[in-house]
Amino acid sequence: MKYIALILLVWFSTNRAGQDIYVCKNATISIYSKAPIEDIEAKTDKGTSVFNAATGELAFSMPIRSLKFDKALMEEHFNENYMESDKYPQASFKGKLAQIPDVTKDGVYPVSATGVFEVHGVKQSRNIPGKLTVSGGTISLSAEFMVACKDHKIDIPTLVFHNIAETIKVQVNATYSPYK
Amino acid sequence: MKRSLLLIALLCTAGLLKAQTTTKDTAKSSTDSLMNTLSAPEKGEPVMATFKATRLILSQTTETVKKKELNFLVIHRFGDIGGSAGGGKTMWGLDNSSDIYIGFEYGLTDNLNIDFGRSKFEQMLELGLKYNILHQKTDESAPVAITLIGKTGFKTYHTESTMFDNYVNRFSYLAQAVIARKFSSALSLQVSPMYLMNNVPYPFVVGNEKNIFALSAAGRLKFSKRMGLVVDYVHPFSNFRNNSVDPRFYDGLGVGIEIETGGHVFTINFTNAQAISEFNYINNTQSSWSKGQFRLGFTISRIFDFNKKHKSAY
Repeated sequence: MKYIALILLVWFSTNRAGQDIYVCKNATISIYSKAPIEDIEAKTDKGTSVFNAATGELAFSMPIRSLKFDKALMEEHFNENYMESDKYPQASFKGKLAQIPDVTKDGVYPVSATGVFEVHGVKQSRNIPGKLTVSGGTISLSAEFMVACKDHKIDIPTLVFHNIAETIKVQVNATYSPYK
Repeated sequence: MKRSLLLIALLCTAGLLKAQTTTKDTAKSSTDSLMNTLSAPEKGEPVMATFKATRLILSQTTETVKKKELNFLVIHRFGDIGGSAGGGKTMWGLDNSSDIYIGFEYGLTDNLNIDFGRSKFEQMLELGLKYNILHQKTDESAPVAITLIGKTGFKTYHTESTMFDNYVNRFSYLAQAVIARKFSSALSLQVSPMYLMNNVPYPFVVGNEKNIFALSAAGRLKFSKRMGLVVDYVHPFSNFRNNSVDPRFYDGLGVGIEIETGGHVFTINFTNAQAISEFNYINNTQSSWSKGQFRLGFTISRIFDFNKKHKSAY
């Protein structure tokens, strides 16, 4: 009997939590940097995200290899020389929203997430401001922030001609659907 | 029963009191596990950059230049460092150039290239196609990359004997398969069987075969992200070459350093083979490492990208 109660209790709480969980399997993430010789730009729509509207917990993940560049050689160098994507295949963010907006009401809410941002195997504590939009019951999140290469031990050797910027702008867009 | 009910009631109250934290805990673990299932790595990505360039020292690699990219190649071999033709009087070979190759490789698609080049050695023109038929995959569904090469060589001037006055006799053909595997980000190895056909045996000596099967083995070991050690070896299976005393033939062997600067790939090497083109070095390598007949050489590979410049969205 005790066990049944426990099972019931756990089941109810999981169930309740489940209703507040939203997922996105096709988050678009793009990187951009302006550099003297040529701009560096790449995009993916293979980002994934989980957002818990009850607790404010937020997680993002992106396969580095999925970022597509216009120039094949740039993509190769990005993966081989800078990101070492065979060793560090994912970039991720795990954190929490500081204040959780009421996701049942339509609106645009400025939010900020504090958590751990991991790129190139190096974890950094970050506070990333963004925007949460609720429209017709659909939740979407967008954010834009800068990443400094040296914060994540991404070396830019002096041998390379000056066409690599030291900070990269990252844009994230995710539209969520409830997790069932 | 009553006790049980009481217990349940107690548990429920406790549960209610603790509901907030319980929800958090379960939610946290489910967020994590959800994330893990969602972001499971995609399988079967092609392995990239098995080699940094389309050439090592003697061999071509499995790499192709991508669509609308042009690879401009300058390959140079100086003269013998030692031996009778080397030494101080030729500045250890720097005064001579045993071969110079200028070539272009263009990507018709990401996997299909058309290649053109000219060698100083035998004034050889060559035109070929290179097709990357199989990519090595990260999930091991394809453990190796395979590239097929076919090319035709033509000596523009008659050389050696009147036998070559007829232009038909100056054609050679090469069919090659290159099989490579990237074992780690540092180590890549390749083997390559090839079949060389000459319309007339070259060098034009009694007993020489028209057609030669050859096998090459090459590898690269990176010691930094942008630099690596390259070893390249080729063996022609030819009775004539094994038994001939004058001239004597040797297998081609090269060792070198590869440096990538982003856009350029440089190889600085030492090799006994005088020639750069397969048509020449498989047929006719008469210089030997042990006699000091090896030389300094370099390869410069520069990629030009003709893909439309992307309009920035920012």
